[in-house]
Amino acid sequence: MVILAILVLSLAASVYLLTRRPDGRVARIYVDGELVREIDLDALAAPERFTVATDRGENVVLAEPGRIRVESADCPDQVCVRAGWLSDSAAPIVCLPHRLVIELAGETSLDTEVG
Amino acid sequence: MRRALSACLALCLVLGSCAAQKREGTFFAMDTVMDLTVYGDEDILTDTEALIRDLEQRLSVTRPDSEIYALNETGKAALSEDTEALLRRALEICALTDGALDITVYPVVRAWGFTTGAYRVPGAEELAALLEKVDYTKISGLTLPEGVLVDLGAVAKGYAADRAAALWRERGVESGLMNLGGNVYALGTKPGGDPWRVGLRDPFSDATLAALEVTDSAVVTSGGYERYFEEDGVRWHHIIDPAAGTPARSGLASVTVVGAEGTLCDGLSTAFFVMGLDRASALWRTLEGVEAVFVTEEREIFITEGLEGHFQPMNDYKNAEIKVIRRG
Repeated sequence: MVILAILVLSLAASVYLLTRRPDGRVARIYVDGELVREIDLDALAAPERFTVATDRGENVVLAEPGRIRVESADCPDQVCVRAGWLSDSAAPIVCLPHRLVIELAGETSLDTEVG
Repeated sequence: MRRALSACLALCLVLGSCAAQKREGTFFAMDTVMDLTVYGDEDILTDTEALIRDLEQRLSVTRPDSEIYALNETGKAALSEDTEALLRRALEICALTDGALDITVYPVVRAWGFTTGAYRVPGAEELAALLEKVDYTKISGLTLPEGVLVDLGAVAKGYAADRAAALWRERGVESGLMNLGGNVYALGTKPGGDPWRVGLRDPFSDATLAALEVTDSAVVTSGGYERYFEEDGVRWHHIIDPAAGTPARSGLASVTVVGAEGTLCDGLSTAFFVMGLDRASALWRTLEGVEAVFVTEEREIFITEGLEGHFQPMNDYKNAEIKVIRRG
């Protein structure tokens, strides 16, 4: 009986873990592969601006309801700034010189993106 | 009954703990960011990263301790199996594309500053002098003539994807997706059996142009919109036409190549971009097992016929006309 209960519970837990969906679009900011900040973009009421300081330089990030971008950065190539808003795309914003990555978790129908 | 339940529970525990779990990792290598999602054993991420870092160490054109650096310094160097295999394959792709991909264009790319970040527009005389040393057909028996330099950067990430996919298969992986800085390889299907959905970036915005559904395929995009600099109001991008020594202006905004071999897809995406739509389509008709998506500067979309039914336009392109390039 105990075994049966454990079995049912473990199956229920598996089903939950396999089928649960994130609530909204969550932006995750990584520096050198380490998660440094997480923001629920759909829960934001007002724009939020903050600086991510890395060992290699700084990126000023602007988060708005539903979208996020790098507003300015002291990196040499400015690729992260030019990347613009991240809102519905599976391609992360990457600042190679600072090893900074901003990506969206949550609802997207894509597994990855090229280009 | 009780024994059957115990066996069942044990099986669940075993499946849950040691078998293919979803593992995700991100790291920086080959001057780009690499993302791995793989259903495999617990060492699969670290082993894949080590494999790619080892390849980078040998193939890099800028690291003084690499085999390619030594080859460029002396014209002849002891090459490991990987480096020699990739060099030979790259030369085959140069020949296949009639020099639209040319691994000896490196001195020109360097003069433009694309390897160092010190961007500049070289003068006509300087380019003419550098172009004299650009010709992959001068390489015989893996020895470089005086002044000829090679760079495997146009195929290295594709090769890394092939080697990583081979490692995953050896380790019994049936489902995995890697994105090595724009070189995607989708192994098998998603765990539920659905194909992987790879987004193609719109060259004209930060949105997604379309989703491609693939299994056991490499997907590689080349475009002039990501790495570039501006001088005197002109945008100079990083894909150099080896015939002219200047950034390719072929009327294409991006090219995506899909196929079983990452190395070939990587090399072809660059070559197709340089060739332009007409020449690239003509070459494509002679190839098997390779498909392509072309986006022109006029925002037209062309796909090769094998992608019909696997290509779903998104966002601004939902109602766009998709032209199909056919073999016949």
